[in-house]
Amino acid sequence: MPARIALALLLAALFLFPFIAEKQPYLLHVLILCCLYAIPAVGLNLMLGYTGLVSLGHMAFAGVGAYTAAVLMVDARLGFWLALLAGVLAAGAAGAAIGAICLRFRTHFFMIVTLAFGLMLYSVMNNWDEVTRGAAGFPGIPRPAPLGGFTFGPLPNFYYLALAAAATAFAVQWLVVRSEFGRVLVALRQDERLAQAKGVNAMLYKTAIFALGSAIAGLGGVLHVSFLRVAAPATFSLAESINAVLIVIVGGAGSLAGPALGALVFVGLPEYLRVAAEWRLVVFGILLVLIMLFAPRGLAGLAAHAWARVRA
Amino acid sequence: MISIRSLRKRYGGVDALSDCDLEIAGPGIYGLIGPNGAGKTTLFDVITGLTEPDSGSVLVEGRDVTGLSPHRLAKLGIARSFQECRVFPEFSCLENLLFGARGTRDEALRLLELVNLHGYRDEPAAELSFGQRRLLEIVATFMLKPRILLLDEPASGVNPALLELLLEFIRRMYDERPCLFLVVEHNMEFVMALAAEIIVMHQGAVLERGTPEAVQASPRVMEAYLG
Amino acid sequence: MLSAVLEQTVNGLMAGSVYVLVALGMVLIYGVMHVLNFAHGVLLMVGAYVCHFFFTRVTESYVLAILLSVIVLAILGIALERAVFRPLHGNLRNQVIASLGLILVFEHLVIAVWGPNALQMKVPATAALVPIGELRFPLQHLLVIGVTLAVVLALFFFLKVSKFGTAIRATSQDRMAAMVVGIPVERIDWMTFGLGTALAALGGALIGPLFLVFPQMGDAPMVKGLAGILLGGMGSVPGAVIGGFIIGIAESVSTLFLPTDYRDSVAFTVMILILLAWPRGLFGVRVRGED
Repeated sequence: MPARIALALLLAALFLFPFIAEKQPYLLHVLILCCLYAIPAVGLNLMLGYTGLVSLGHMAFAGVGAYTAAVLMVDARLGFWLALLAGVLAAGAAGAAIGAICLRFRTHFFMIVTLAFGLMLYSVMNNWDEVTRGAAGFPGIPRPAPLGGFTFGPLPNFYYLALAAAATAFAVQWLVVRSEFGRVLVALRQDERLAQAKGVNAMLYKTAIFALGSAIAGLGGVLHVSFLRVAAPATFSLAESINAVLIVIVGGAGSLAGPALGALVFVGLPEYLRVAAEWRLVVFGILLVLIMLFAPRGLAGLAAHAWARVRA
Repeated sequence: MISIRSLRKRYGGVDALSDCDLEIAGPGIYGLIGPNGAGKTTLFDVITGLTEPDSGSVLVEGRDVTGLSPHRLAKLGIARSFQECRVFPEFSCLENLLFGARGTRDEALRLLELVNLHGYRDEPAAELSFGQRRLLEIVATFMLKPRILLLDEPASGVNPALLELLLEFIRRMYDERPCLFLVVEHNMEFVMALAAEIIVMHQGAVLERGTPEAVQASPRVMEAYLG
Repeated sequence: MLSAVLEQTVNGLMAGSVYVLVALGMVLIYGVMHVLNFAHGVLLMVGAYVCHFFFTRVTESYVLAILLSVIVLAILGIALERAVFRPLHGNLRNQVIASLGLILVFEHLVIAVWGPNALQMKVPATAALVPIGELRFPLQHLLVIGVTLAVVLALFFFLKVSKFGTAIRATSQDRMAAMVVGIPVERIDWMTFGLGTALAALGGALIGPLFLVFPQMGDAPMVKGLAGILLGGMGSVPGAVIGGFIIGIAESVSTLFLPTDYRDSVAFTVMILILLAWPRGLFGVRVRGED
């Protein structure tokens, strides 16, 4: 099976990368960022790509996870790993609660309400100085505590952690997609009313995936702020939520590899091309519009199309 | 089997359902006809939980199911097809049949064979013609093994060549597994050939019911359509 | 206390005016094309920048600068409709995502050209203070409110009476029927988009002198304008006006007893609460094809 071989090769390459690129910490840094952007994108892909829920406030949940862990680590002196778990659970719980409200609305209204909640959460992160340290950011967030002698201060070591977390997220995505639960999600995206007429409790499934997607975002959020050693509201703003949508769509919504491709393009390409930040986003905006017009299935879709043609 | 009591539903200034009473004791194929605005689709929507009535109740085998959500009603054995014909466009024909179904894969394949769609079993439903999709939709409802099956204008949009197949298929399904079929139709020829009993609705309530011959001869029914 | 309430009410009317202009543009476009144009906020922002450009480089007349920027933006809007939204007709999700792409394009294009820092647009003519009772308000504030009310009235009149306006209403209610009757719906599409964009540009040009001109200036008005539309009812023009003003006033008055930092959240909370009670908004119009 060519897909499995390719995947195995890829994983091997990624695993060996720090040894190959020993003299280039910059590349490691870029790859870490790719992983950190890909993880929330996986969560959003499950919601948007597979279930059809266009959430415009996704990164706010990453923020919930990040700040929960930050407060637990710095103020409550809880260890990293427990704080990580707590962050993921908090993000998931927030997703379940807020999702339950947002999901009472359809299509346009849903998008706007998710956007509104995203902005409200951002406002809390930005203004609740006593807890979140406000707009200035929450400093002093430690790198993960050592696991059996393996510390995460050095870049290559954190890289492995990021890679492992990303692999976990993708594994979860794969498990969901190939399960009966995943099948129901895809049915909901195609025709919710029909699915209900066949016995599907749409609200339950949608809330569940909203919670799961948010929890995965939380995982990305905690790792992100641990990497930067600081938590800032800007990482979880509306602009970042829009970027998350961009990553999912450009990569290919509803495809397993989509979030990885999207993150790679979003983070990796401009670093490679050395473009100024403003122009990068102009290009991405244009890319997004072009993809909507000409290649709605994103890069993964284009790749699949090309592969099919090669085989024919 | 199904008891509809004093259903009322008002939309804007119009009484879609006006003290509608209907009692159907046991299995059978029942046609539901009536001029436009008689309340047929509203009745379906209330029975399947898409709309809540302003007052009145729906009982299925003695149990009050009024106002339950569509998915719960589906689980209780009430299935329906839709006027606009709904299938999952990305799923293959086989996948469409197996979704939420109580039947087995073999049964699904057999049913596909019966409606000449076996060759399309792995094709996405979006590739089918409208008539084929209609057949697929109805076949899928049978896979749910319902107690009550509501068909909303199954013949509409289906070309005459396939209509015969459709008619035969519905009859055959009833023979294999008798339950309560309620079929809303405007195609008189189709519904008169299919149903054992016809129920006529007019202005939100049941006007008359009887055999196809009796209903066709009834002056009150004629007046409702023409008047 | 009373004067504080009055002051906030006027502030609210002014903020509300901007939301109304954005909301009107969006609701007209939504009615006719069923597109929710999230990029409307950046169009307001571009309108402000273009107005600034004309005002500082081309003319000394604020009014002329406004006019020119409105025209330029209307043309831009038409171009966007034809290039981006028309081909995506019918596909809501893709249209929304394309409009998100446009947000990125314009916001960062502006940063690339003008830099990330805010620009000032000083209009001496309107800086004068106008006394109302004990309070004084800058003329610009009142100008914003006045112009918006005038535009709203003109728009109502236009929609009711003129041929184009009636065509817009017909197309919003039932596109198919409008086509059957011979209304050139495709032309209505781009003309409405142009009109909507012009309204956004007007909003931008009006608030430029008040609060600096900066790349993110359209974000909050866009979201609040959306809140206004949802509040008033998705397809309803009067709803958009009332919704926009309610949001503006609620927001401003809330600063009297809530920390100002959470001002923005007031708008959203009001919106969500009202939607939970009236899912279609206050004057909800059942637009065909929804659900």
